[in-house]
Amino acid sequence: MNMNMHMASAHDETWLLLPWLANGRLTGAQRSQVEEHVRACASCAQELSAQRQLCALLTEPERVTYAPGPSLRKLLDRIDDRTSVPGRAARAPVREPAPFGRLTAAWRPPGLAWAATFLLTVALGVLTATAYHWSRPVYATYSTARPAGEVLHVAFDRSLPFGEVEELLRSAGARVVEGPGTTGIFGIVPSGSVAPRAAGATVSPQLRVLAARLHGDARVRWIEPLPAEDSQGSPPQDH
Amino acid sequence: MADPTYRGAASVAREVELLARIAEGDRKAFEELYNLYHRRMARFLMRLTRRYDLAEEVINDTFWVVWRKAGDFRGDSQPSTWILGIAYRKARSAFRAASRLAEQNLTIESEPLTAETPAGTEELRDWLGQALVQLPVEQRLAVELCYELGYSCEEIAAIMNCPVNTVKTRLFHARAKLQRLLPQLATPTAAAAQAREGRAS
Repeated sequence: MNMNMHMASAHDETWLLLPWLANGRLTGAQRSQVEEHVRACASCAQELSAQRQLCALLTEPERVTYAPGPSLRKLLDRIDDRTSVPGRAARAPVREPAPFGRLTAAWRPPGLAWAATFLLTVALGVLTATAYHWSRPVYATYSTARPAGEVLHVAFDRSLPFGEVEELLRSAGARVVEGPGTTGIFGIVPSGSVAPRAAGATVSPQLRVLAARLHGDARVRWIEPLPAEDSQGSPPQDH
Repeated sequence: MADPTYRGAASVAREVELLARIAEGDRKAFEELYNLYHRRMARFLMRLTRRYDLAEEVINDTFWVVWRKAGDFRGDSQPSTWILGIAYRKARSAFRAASRLAEQNLTIESEPLTAETPAGTEELRDWLGQALVQLPVEQRLAVELCYELGYSCEEIAAIMNCPVNTVKTRLFHARAKLQRLLPQLATPTAAAAQAREGRAS
């Protein structure tokens, strides 16, 4: 039994090594063992013949030979393409430019750098102006403290007919110079005033009297607060 | 069978010297080494692919690596083992990219290429070429490295970067498949007689 197992094992091992017996690369004790088994084993002997035939077929001179010249030229062109200095530079480790270096390299040539800088400056200026414009309020409420002026802003009861508003203003000694806007606000001045005074002027006594008169009328829903008598400024403006 | 031109100690020493010069950027040395290897690499790659453009691509990709990495060769193996190891990796990638034959062939049971006896050695070699193309790429390369280029089992293992037993197994399966595809190989005596008759006539 052990003898049979030994034989089977030797056969399998020999079978695996036959290609190297055929190509002549089996040496030493291994070669002797394989040759000994082949002499006693018909199937291994036949397989060895097949292996030798395979070697002979694959090592016979080719009918076609391939000239290396054109392929070599292609490869040398490839090497030259990747190499500024023939030889070592192809193999020399390429130094990675620093991140800042890459950035500055992108600004070449100088003309492009100047043009880009100019465009950036203009864009920055436009951006700053736009930001300043956006930062300013686009509306103001009538109750916002603003420089006082000649015009007094008032709102009447919404149920009041326009004719009655006119009558009310006439009796109070005022006339409409602005509005009414979408919010129902009127800008009025004392009847004696010719034109609104310039911004920055103090509130006139006539305007204060007019405001006082309207305060007493129940049909007036809202009157623009006026600055104190000692304060400077112009009246709020309706936007 | 081993090519004596490349197996002698003198030729190995010459190749080591060429690699050292290539590492220093010597283009003449590079051209000499390229010419030394081109013919046999072209031959075995052509048998594997049957496409010269693909064979040329593998050769040039291999020598592109040799040009850049010659300084990495430490002499742990023969220059040919080192170069063929690079070629093996390049060939495997190129063949797989070119076609998925290797994977397909793992699942397709192939029929014998012919039921007739080949008229002569040339015809048998043509059939062998067709049979080799049907092997999975690792088996194909192992066959070429062993039978054509004459490498030992250990050298093939180094080239393919795998254990020795894996090489034996790959060749075992390749042999079995070749015998199915080419029954004439199983009866070499008859085939040889046919070949002799063919040459005589």
